[in-house]
Amino acid sequence: MSTNATPKEIGTISFGLMNPEEYREMSATKVITADTYDDDGYPIDMGLMDPRLGVIDPGLECRTCGQHSGSCNGHFGHIELAAPVIHVGFTKLIRRLLRGTCRECSRLCLTDEERSEFHERLTRTRELGDDVGDVMKAAIRQARKHDRCPACGAGQYDVTHEKPTTYYEVQDVLAADYAERIAAAMQPDGEDDAGTSPQELAAETDIELSRINEILGGEFRPREGGRTAIERALDVDLTEEDMNKLMPSDIRDWFEDIPEADMRVLGIDPERSRPEWMILTVLPVPPVTARPSITLDNGQRSEDDLTHKLVDIIRINQRFMENREAGAPQLIIEDLWELLQYHVTTFMDNEISGTPPARHRSGRPLKTLSQRLKGKEGRFRGSLSGKRVNFSARTVISPDPTLSLNEVGVPERVATEMTQTMNVNERNLEEARRYVANGPEGHPGANYVRRPDGKRLKVTEKNCEALAGREDAETTQVVEPGWEVSRHLVDGDIVIFNRQPSLHRMSIMAHEVVVMPYKTFRLNTTVCTPYNADFDGDEMNMHALQNEEARAEARVLMRVQEHILSPRFGENIIGPLQDHITGTYLLTHADPETGEPPRFNETQALDLLRATRVDELPEPDGIAEDAPVTQQGDGAAVEGGAYWSGRTLFSELLPDGLDLRFRSAAGEEVVIEDGRLLAGTVDDDGVGAFGGELVDTITKEYGETRARMFVNEVAALAMRSIMHFGFSLGIDDESIPREAEERIDEAIAATDEQVEELIAAYEAGDLESLPGRTVDETLEMKIMQKLGQARDSAGDIAEKHFATDNPAVIMAESGARGSMLNLTQMAACVGQQAVRGERINRGYEDRTLSHYAPHDLSAEAHGFVEHSYRSGLTPREFFFHAMGGREGLVDTAVRTSKSGYLQRRLINALSELETQYDGTVRDTSDNIIQFEFGEDGTSPSKVASNADTDVDVEAIADRVMAAEFDGEERAAFLSSERPTNLSEYADDRIEPDAEPTTEAAPPTTDD
Amino acid sequence: MNDGAQHELVPEHTVVDDPAIEEVLAEYDIERTDLPKIKRRDPALPDDAAVGDVVRIVRDSRTTDRAVVHRLVVA
Repeated sequence: MSTNATPKEIGTISFGLMNPEEYREMSATKVITADTYDDDGYPIDMGLMDPRLGVIDPGLECRTCGQHSGSCNGHFGHIELAAPVIHVGFTKLIRRLLRGTCRECSRLCLTDEERSEFHERLTRTRELGDDVGDVMKAAIRQARKHDRCPACGAGQYDVTHEKPTTYYEVQDVLAADYAERIAAAMQPDGEDDAGTSPQELAAETDIELSRINEILGGEFRPREGGRTAIERALDVDLTEEDMNKLMPSDIRDWFEDIPEADMRVLGIDPERSRPEWMILTVLPVPPVTARPSITLDNGQRSEDDLTHKLVDIIRINQRFMENREAGAPQLIIEDLWELLQYHVTTFMDNEISGTPPARHRSGRPLKTLSQRLKGKEGRFRGSLSGKRVNFSARTVISPDPTLSLNEVGVPERVATEMTQTMNVNERNLEEARRYVANGPEGHPGANYVRRPDGKRLKVTEKNCEALAGREDAETTQVVEPGWEVSRHLVDGDIVIFNRQPSLHRMSIMAHEVVVMPYKTFRLNTTVCTPYNADFDGDEMNMHALQNEEARAEARVLMRVQEHILSPRFGENIIGPLQDHITGTYLLTHADPETGEPPRFNETQALDLLRATRVDELPEPDGIAEDAPVTQQGDGAAVEGGAYWSGRTLFSELLPDGLDLRFRSAAGEEVVIEDGRLLAGTVDDDGVGAFGGELVDTITKEYGETRARMFVNEVAALAMRSIMHFGFSLGIDDESIPREAEERIDEAIAATDEQVEELIAAYEAGDLESLPGRTVDETLEMKIMQKLGQARDSAGDIAEKHFATDNPAVIMAESGARGSMLNLTQMAACVGQQAVRGERINRGYEDRTLSHYAPHDLSAEAHGFVEHSYRSGLTPREFFFHAMGGREGLVDTAVRTSKSGYLQRRLINALSELETQYDGTVRDTSDNIIQFEFGEDGTSPSKVASNADTDVDVEAIADRVMAAEFDGEERAAFLSSERPTNLSEYADDRIEPDAEPTTEAAPPTTDD
Repeated sequence: MNDGAQHELVPEHTVVDDPAIEEVLAEYDIERTDLPKIKRRDPALPDDAAVGDVVRIVRDSRTTDRAVVHRLVVA
């Protein structure tokens, strides 16, 4: 079978019940013996391993189709059940039908009007694509309201269902002690009631007196009519409930008589599914290929769980038949029947509530049919929707700033394992042979070749030279045009790269391969953001693409650079981060004293720009006055004093003609004119991921390729820059002078006092509650507020003592990493710890720890940490801090699992929606979900949504015009009247009179 | 009682007449039942909307100013 065969299109799938006759017809053999193999190890005829059911042992031949194991898919057999049993999968439907149809005539208990009403409702529901099951439920509910069958008038009884497979009819029958009950009711009780004499009763009920006496003597059981008359006359209940068990055979007979028209009212197609087929009389035996036995090391055979279950069924079935033939008492027959029902039930589903699961000898519950399909590891989710794939690799990732963000470093081990197919022709013959000659171990080599006749040959170290047609090798077959060569991955191949969890489309992107030594995947640090990756041991998956369409599609749609803009918020998600931001900040930030950005001499400037395309420096920004003039090697004098400012060097990376003004993260105005950074510091808001102005603007106005170059170059320049300046963070960087510490202590002490005052006021009853809050809540709120202020003021004091060149401050201010709050907590005061948004209130009765008096409301007793991380926490503070920290950890754990499940449900609900060529979004049955994709038919990553990041259409148009035409042409181009949508006019279905194209053709530029 | 249909955040719902419905159905090449649905008892519906009618909903849109949607009234 060729794998390239044209796939068949599935027209329709219809689900229904299966006719038992069909089971018999498709059966390869009837199975009657519970044994599997005989003493010689051969399968027993008409046993569970009958060779007609397919073969699993290699070398044997299937007795049904004649094929060998591997090509024979197996064949079903069947077991004739001694008595009908209920199919567990349909117990609900069986219950419904029992309740909705007449016990005498099996017709649906509905009047003709109701019948037609539900029939109509059914067709309407079908048209609307709603759940047909709801209509059936409603019809059954209506049918149950009738006490008597509208067709035959027979009285109906309630049917109860005892899970999983027992049904009872609840009938009211004459109680055994009816005589006593009547006599008791006839006795006079109390003063008003004189009692009833038999004569009176006879008169009242129209029953002869002698009958009454017989009844009272317990010699005659009154019929239903007499019974109700007596009940009415004496106001007494003579009945008791009797549960009449419905045997599967009864149910089967009942269902056989349900008319086809009635089934259509319930939405059942009688052609496809007769309801009596829900009661099994014959059981299909799955082919052996579906339940292969395995041979253990000691030669013993171990059977599949399904086989074990089938053995049980056959044994009981056999016993049932023997007992019945021997005329065993009804009780024993019923027991065996129930046992057979149990085995058939657990054969299909072994996780039924209320039924003990069938167990293996070892005590492990058997994995039967339903368990094979259900759940994450089941057939659907585990084997069909999610399969393990070939041509994929997984390993740890590590950073490589020298790679482009479009590239991925692939270890040689991976590159030599995964292949791309080369179709050999005259032009690439030499190349293909070169790959083959390198063999499977040398890189770049080849692992397999495929001859035109389809035969696949493994390239080995031994045969590679010969296959490549090297002269000195003895050879019979050589790679020729028409062959296929599976060559190793080489630089420039496109592969798909993925990190789980794949939460958005940027979690799977296409990269270009760069084959590298060592064993990790290498990636540019700027793509960490979309993948949400770091290098603390993260692993990622790579998939090699196997056909030309896939490779083209990946290159055009999935390459990293195509995903710089996020569809979530329409701004860039890829951009320099962390140290890159610090680097550009240091490079472009003006010294607060001189107001000038840093200066670099020629060597330094060239060194900074070394990893970029820039190989020539611009005009220097100035000459340092006191610089010595040096001689170059060839004697030419060089002005050693020439310097370039950091901003000038950064400007080298900007596209010419870029004009931009924006506010930086630190809040200063950044001015860029004609691609030159004139003022301001480039930081996170300028260049970073998540909406850095420069990356965003360049992507939108100059295209993805330019943006990719820009991001790569900024990252490279920033790394050089941060290395030039040197950047490190130590514990001393968070220390503040002693007097500052004292002031912080004072501030906190003052707050403590204020809190004490609040508590005193509260205890004196003077505290006024805020609207909508109790006094207790008000106190808590006010204390929290005060303590929050205390932390902030401590932070403010500390902040004053940090120099602007403090590394932590630089990082916080530039947006590279961390915040001023982090710094405050390290240097000044950690602040209030909270659990569930409140001060810490748990622990002992009326207090948090036994260190405090009960009902102590002070800041200290409820988790206020007044020390800083640097100065160290007291044991009690540490404990409270751990409480707050633990809540954070629990929250993240809960959040990820919750959101994961939510995401799964959302994906399942939306996965089949598709945008059609007419712009509508529809589901698989062509229902319209949106009339225009997202209301506006646009992709968020292709438009700017807010006013500040508006795409300047005019400016882009001007730029295009200026680049394309000179002045006159431009005027001519703009004044010419041409149809706007040329493709519409090129369509020959449009009448010729609507075609002004010939006269007003666009002016050509070559005149 | 508050009339939900008059709330400023509830877009305008109008019952569409038959020729206009045909136009809409032809535009998208669909059956009436392929339209999105709206419950008859939805408070945003005008009082004269009956089951089987098609309503046109004109919403303000941040991106397109006006977004027009059609829905089939169902029971």
